[in-house]
Amino acid sequence: MFRIERDRARFREIVRGKLRQDLRKYLSSTELIGRRGDKAVSIPIPQVELPRFRFGDNSERGVGQGEGEGGQPVDGDAGEGGGAGGAGDQEGKHILEVDVDLADLAEMLGDELELPDIQPRGDRLLSSEGGRYSGIRQAGPRSLRHFRRTYRNALKRTIASGAWDSAEPRVVPVRDDERFRWRRNCPRPESSAVIFHIMDVSGSMGREQKDVVRIKAFWIDTWLRSQYQNLEVVYVVHDAVAKIVDQQTFFHLRESGGTKISSAYELCLDLIRERYRPEEWNIYPFHYSDGDNWSARDTERCVGILRDEILPRVNQFCYGQVKSAYGSGQFKKDLDSSLVDEERLVTAAVDDREGIPDAVRAFLGSGR
Amino acid sequence: MRRMGSLTAELSDLSVAIEDVARDSGLDFFDVSFELLDARDVNAIASYGGFPVRYPSWRFGMEYERLEKGYRFGLSKIYELVINNDPTYAYLVSSNSLMEQKLVMAHVFGHADFFKHNVWFQPTERQMVDVMASHGTRMRRYVDAFGQDCVERFLDLALALDTLIDPYLPVRHLRGGAPVEGREDHLSRAKRSLDRACSSPVERRLAPVGRAPAPAPGGPTFDVLGFLAEGADLDEWQRDVLRMVRAEAHYFAPQRMTKIMNEGWASFWHSRILTRGVLEVEEIVDFADCHSGATATAPGQLNPYKLGIDLFRYAEEKGMDLFELRALHNDVSFIDAVVDEEFAERSRLFVYARNSRTGRTEVVPRDWREIKEELLRSLSWGGLPRIELADVDHDGRGELLLRHHFDGRELQLDQAGELLVQLASLWGRPVHLLTREEGGGRRLTADGGEVRLVEVPGGGETIDRGEGLRAG
Repeated sequence: MFRIERDRARFREIVRGKLRQDLRKYLSSTELIGRRGDKAVSIPIPQVELPRFRFGDNSERGVGQGEGEGGQPVDGDAGEGGGAGGAGDQEGKHILEVDVDLADLAEMLGDELELPDIQPRGDRLLSSEGGRYSGIRQAGPRSLRHFRRTYRNALKRTIASGAWDSAEPRVVPVRDDERFRWRRNCPRPESSAVIFHIMDVSGSMGREQKDVVRIKAFWIDTWLRSQYQNLEVVYVVHDAVAKIVDQQTFFHLRESGGTKISSAYELCLDLIRERYRPEEWNIYPFHYSDGDNWSARDTERCVGILRDEILPRVNQFCYGQVKSAYGSGQFKKDLDSSLVDEERLVTAAVDDREGIPDAVRAFLGSGR
Repeated sequence: MRRMGSLTAELSDLSVAIEDVARDSGLDFFDVSFELLDARDVNAIASYGGFPVRYPSWRFGMEYERLEKGYRFGLSKIYELVINNDPTYAYLVSSNSLMEQKLVMAHVFGHADFFKHNVWFQPTERQMVDVMASHGTRMRRYVDAFGQDCVERFLDLALALDTLIDPYLPVRHLRGGAPVEGREDHLSRAKRSLDRACSSPVERRLAPVGRAPAPAPGGPTFDVLGFLAEGADLDEWQRDVLRMVRAEAHYFAPQRMTKIMNEGWASFWHSRILTRGVLEVEEIVDFADCHSGATATAPGQLNPYKLGIDLFRYAEEKGMDLFELRALHNDVSFIDAVVDEEFAERSRLFVYARNSRTGRTEVVPRDWREIKEELLRSLSWGGLPRIELADVDHDGRGELLLRHHFDGRELQLDQAGELLVQLASLWGRPVHLLTREEGGGRRLTADGGEVRLVEVPGGGETIDRGEGLRAG
């Protein structure tokens, strides 16, 4: 149905326009978190509907049908009724969820924050197995028979054997004439990247700080996903010790106690050495903390690991410092002063949600 | 449009057999033309309100998105679509089982009979497929002439106003014997469309306006759309858009006003027809399952299939003439005629309301009078707010005054304000709306892109208890 596809395309254009308009709002809110699938984000779009004279909900009265005594609640989980339905003349809900391709969303983000594309690095192109039906074999399933080749062979054989009669050009293929298409593997260049999201979950990181981290992580993932065909994400949390966790835990875990940042950097380094070798991977560690470390000695250790081990192996290391009521913010100062010349290190301070777009731009604006 | 072979031979034979049973049972309808389509195409047609030839609008694309998503996730599925037209068009979904197709066909004949005989459908356009196609052509021509954005903006505004009609107007005309607007014989319609085709839209726009704007109506009217189409200072193409939207709104309005009756009638008959020898024995259980799925109830929601079939069965039991009922009533008058204490009790009707103490929506202790009154109130005026154009020269300044007939349910004032702003830009002068909120009168005024809300002392003039809403 060609026509409806045009109307649908127009609708999506309108939605994208709205989204573009409101992108700043989404950039600093948790609204989109948890709405992302593999290829698309489902975004709640208010007010695409036309304004109308509608009833509000002041009375919330109505008539129902079924069992129930006076006082029994009916708002438990009212589901849709039966399956049948005629032409849809019901008003839709006012909030509509629309799927937007991750690629589109990343493009909008790129436009909004003026992010440069990441330059591909030639030495990290991996080949992946793709397949095309470009090969020919003598055996295969009937459905893959290559008619032209088969016919040509049969024709050749017929002529060679002297059975060809131009008055009655009949060609009958036999088993030996048959040729079949075959899937041939062909290497395809592909770039891979890994993100390490490392978060300080010590007692001083509160709920708001974690939300800021979540939002930042969401947009960073969205952008990098649009830049690499293959993206893996590793979540690491640390207080005095570091461990790998899944996404769910990463965003909801609340630990308490001290902070030893070096533990996380060591774990990160181990992972790079063992699983994500720099020859094959573009590596992006992001570390979020409120900037309190256990001791100056541990901070020195962190600087050492960064300078000697991590920075030479990664595309870029980003440190995002989230302001909290308890954090001193000392760690960022230490990094900035000890690693002045390292262009692969980017640090940013985020005071609150409003600061997220700037931090994302600082992290991704280098095009590395 | 009847495509040969659009049904399989088996389904085609079945449709003939079911049609025979339907006619023997006393149903009477225009020719019914079935088409078999896959779910995707049925969704697309449903998005256009049943008319694949309709004008383009993003809103249909949005509806399609919604239907497709519901279908993909298995949340909702359209079994059938019936179009009020002569011949009556019905679309079947190819993925339905044979039993479901039988049920759907019988259901369709019920709707087709209802369309042909119910009084509220008498003035509806029976060549709506052609009319919609013509609307589509005109709208596309306007897009070509004036640009997509410009036409889309105006069409959106017109559609936002499409509930502001007087749904009783066509039937009043019919009863009064006066010619009904929008209905003309085939000859003059053909001549008109020929004339149109011969002049380009731009020429028509530059030509002197053929039809002088009608004078301001003598008294208050609900036909706001009609008033604007003839009385506002607009380009001719804009008038035409308003007229098209108004004609379509009048076409769809009876479906809104008879939803319960129409579905009840179709369900009543599919159930009866199928158990008159159409079903195979082994299909009975599946049928029962499907039928009870369609007539299932959920708390806090009224299922028109269920309530409708209950009403017709009860009326039959009480010895009422079903065929007369289906011809003379709409949902409100039908319920008023049939619902009594016994019915309310038997079909387990209740009123629910928000309990401010618990903050939840709860069942109110059952009282059949209250139930009936609430039912009638919620269905009156097609379930929409009654908005009347009270004055077209308010305070002698040429401003429009709208009046909301308040029945206890408040309007969403933010949306109303937005709509008023657009209305004011169309009218060219400020527009006011009288309504009520939190027990007091309010006046919403849109003036030059801004909205003001002021309290109006008393506000009693907007209170409306509705006509004939008292039960008992």
